[in-house]
Amino acid sequence: MNPVLGRARSKSTLRTAAAMAAMGLALATSALAGPGAGVGAASSHREAPLIAADPQVDNTDVYAFTSPDQQDSVTLVANWLPFQEPNGGPNFYPWADGAHYDINIDSQGTGKPDITYRWTFHTEDQRGTNTFLYNNGPVNNLTDPTLLFRQYYTLQELRSGCEPKTLVEHGTAAPSDTGKASMPDYGRLRGQATVQLPGGGQTVATQAADPFFLDLRVFDLLYGGNLTETGQNTLAGYNVNTLSIQIPKSRLAWKGDATRNPVIGVWSSTEKRTMKLSPGKEEPTGKYVQVSRLGNPLVNEVVVPAGLKDAFNALPPSEDHNQPAVVAKVLDPEVPKLVQAIYGLPAPATPRTDLQEIFLTGIAKATGGPFQVDLNSQLMNQDIDPRRFVPAEELRLNMSTPVSAAPNRLGILAGDFQGFPNGRRLTDDVVDIALQVMEGATPGNLIGALAAGDGVNQADRPFSASFPYVALPYAKAVNQAG
Amino acid sequence: MRRLPLLLTTVALCGTLAAFGALGREGPAPAPEPGGDRRDAGTAAAGAPDGGALGRSIAADQRRLRGTPQDAEGWARLGAEYVERARLTADPSYYPRADEALARSLELRPADNVDALTALGALANARHLFAEARDFAERAIGLAPLHWQAYAVLADARTQLGDDTGATEAVQDLLDRHPGTASFTRAAYELEQHGRADEARQALQQALDSSYDPADRAFCRHQIAELDQDSGRPEQALTGYRQALADDPSFTPALAGRARAQAALGDTDAAVADYTAAVARVPLPQHLLELGELQESLGHRAAAEEQYRLLTAEQQLAAANGVLDDLTLGRFQADHGDPAQAVTLLRGEWERRRSVLVADALAWALHRQGKDQEALPLAEQAGSHGWRNALFAYHRGEIERALGQPDAAREHLAEALRLDPHFSPLLAPQARSALAALGGTS
Repeated sequence: MNPVLGRARSKSTLRTAAAMAAMGLALATSALAGPGAGVGAASSHREAPLIAADPQVDNTDVYAFTSPDQQDSVTLVANWLPFQEPNGGPNFYPWADGAHYDINIDSQGTGKPDITYRWTFHTEDQRGTNTFLYNNGPVNNLTDPTLLFRQYYTLQELRSGCEPKTLVEHGTAAPSDTGKASMPDYGRLRGQATVQLPGGGQTVATQAADPFFLDLRVFDLLYGGNLTETGQNTLAGYNVNTLSIQIPKSRLAWKGDATRNPVIGVWSSTEKRTMKLSPGKEEPTGKYVQVSRLGNPLVNEVVVPAGLKDAFNALPPSEDHNQPAVVAKVLDPEVPKLVQAIYGLPAPATPRTDLQEIFLTGIAKATGGPFQVDLNSQLMNQDIDPRRFVPAEELRLNMSTPVSAAPNRLGILAGDFQGFPNGRRLTDDVVDIALQVMEGATPGNLIGALAAGDGVNQADRPFSASFPYVALPYAKAVNQAG
Repeated sequence: MRRLPLLLTTVALCGTLAAFGALGREGPAPAPEPGGDRRDAGTAAAGAPDGGALGRSIAADQRRLRGTPQDAEGWARLGAEYVERARLTADPSYYPRADEALARSLELRPADNVDALTALGALANARHLFAEARDFAERAIGLAPLHWQAYAVLADARTQLGDDTGATEAVQDLLDRHPGTASFTRAAYELEQHGRADEARQALQQALDSSYDPADRAFCRHQIAELDQDSGRPEQALTGYRQALADDPSFTPALAGRARAQAALGDTDAAVADYTAAVARVPLPQHLLELGELQESLGHRAAAEEQYRLLTAEQQLAAANGVLDDLTLGRFQADHGDPAQAVTLLRGEWERRRSVLVADALAWALHRQGKDQEALPLAEQAGSHGWRNALFAYHRGEIERALGQPDAAREHLAEALRLDPHFSPLLAPQARSALAALGGTS
């Protein structure tokens, strides 16, 4: 017997029985009125969805690093729509039509974007009513007519004070991988979807294996759990949608000078268009509204207090310093207190100006913070106006830091200054780094008691050596044996 | 960016569902208790048939909360998920569970618990305690002015309380903070109630484009079909209900919708079969009533009476779970029970809230009691926002006919039939003969 149907059937039986029992108590009021009566079909109370998830526009992770094989350029990677199950079936995970998928660059430290790379997608669905399949035969090339569902995008470069510049007019997104039989060589499709940009650089919109690696149970720590049951990468097997762009450093740096102004702040965000209920105004269809953003990893989960997560997602980084509750959580975070309670490891003294420096200003002597080094604050840029600088939650990258010959997953904590929190490489173990940093670790001085971290030190799939570096998507169901 | 909730979902994906599935036990998910393995079996059983992503989130949150019962945010999320679950399954026994989870959340974090306050507001709305819902939403907004879900709760509450201007404001506030399924669907209801059906349809299309979960997609397609059905386009509606069921076969309202469209198209056998299947899944009063009236229109009195009896019992069950729905009960009593009791119930409801739905229902109950003088201003009030609603128009037309106002009666009876010639299997024929008796044409 189909277990689902079986359950549904007996559940309804149970409910009918309950209704009958209740009826015994009911007053016998249902004497039938004559013909002509009728309440009709107007429902009394329409209940619309409230907690509808919108993962298509959920930013999950941002990476920014000097391209190891193209060192005059920086690669920016931003992911959306996590937990894509490659179920073997015809699963497709489209980009949301019309939304603005943005990667933002703040090179002056104002918390406002100096440059935004904006992808806007539209869909061409040729499936008609005959099939629900996304392809009706093998897809060896992006242009194969067997691919029935395609998404195209426009990529614009927005610079404050300039007209938007279209970098890609009609790019093709690499489709979701619908399996070996349908797409025998996904790498080839991804290659065909990669576009060279005018002025140098390249971009691709593609599905990829989620590069983030961690044991999710690490979050139990936040609620009084502990780290004894970690060591399994709970994201292994899941895919994400990835936008990746490689840009010459000179195009990202303030005034085009990556030598004098090497530091950039990076975050991704998503905007959707709203609508106006009152017509006849100057904006009949409504403005674009930011619904999600992401800079440093784990900030929204670990730092931003409940109730302010929506505000955090809606606001630009330039407003962060006006959110006293967020700043207070950075200066006095939960995690060290919990670690102290569970492991007896003393929490560092507060206020945690070190965390403020890492997450909100970048590390530099000029920030007045505790780190007496110049690493990655825009205050190091020589041509900016420091009076306009504000603390803002951004992933900050010093583009002049040399590429490490042997990258260390613990980044600057292990003396590898090209790693997180100086930008973020795909291989950086941000969970372990964040945990150590929360406990007050500094380069060379790791907290031994937490050395194991979440027990997951790398992604399951190796990253590519060249653009877009992310691994090809998983094609096997996550829970499938073997 | 909602990594954490999604992360939590994954815990369920990553390994436990299969084990629990084998232990299938009937009934909705119980409130989780630390160490209660037996309860997990119930979770999986309830999650499977119609759970989808929501069922998985509930199961994951229950598991997690057993390990970390101090997680105030987790309890608030679970409470909100129970309310959503009740919405999708129409099973009111989720409400006490939601209550319990939200009370624990507030106990753990009494101050600034925006998520719990918002979910308590949603729960109050679901129980038709709209003034309470409004107060919870306002408290949440006072603490977190950018917390968009609270505006959705506020919009729902104000709409049902009859605060028309306030409702419009809250929906626009919601739209401006978070364009997405939750806001576009509410915008559509707002537009429809103001007679802007075409724009409502566009809003629903935007909601559909924004929605990702099959249950949400089914909801949007269903609402588009409802607009078609209510505008006298049963063929298009039928297609829409079918699409909704293709997205989510467990979305019962679309099954009832398909029945309604089939009845309008004259395929009454299929309609009875679909309605019967729908009420077998979930004996929702609305659907029991529609089935009863369809059966009555076909001359199947005994079968109709059976549905009405079940409906009364369901109302009792809902009341036992804290749902106060005197509107539906009053409407039912007006037509199939005791009009005097209907008037009492609906006057009470009118004291609590001045919604156009209550105005229409009270007007009709008064008419059934012979109090047409008192009924007319209420019937006019029901139409004051411009909602093109065939039932409202029919009710008004009959009241005017009883008051000896043939011109107005002709106009409104004709309007009802023009908006939707099939608006009710019992009343549409009534409207036609009343109109003919007045010498009008539809």
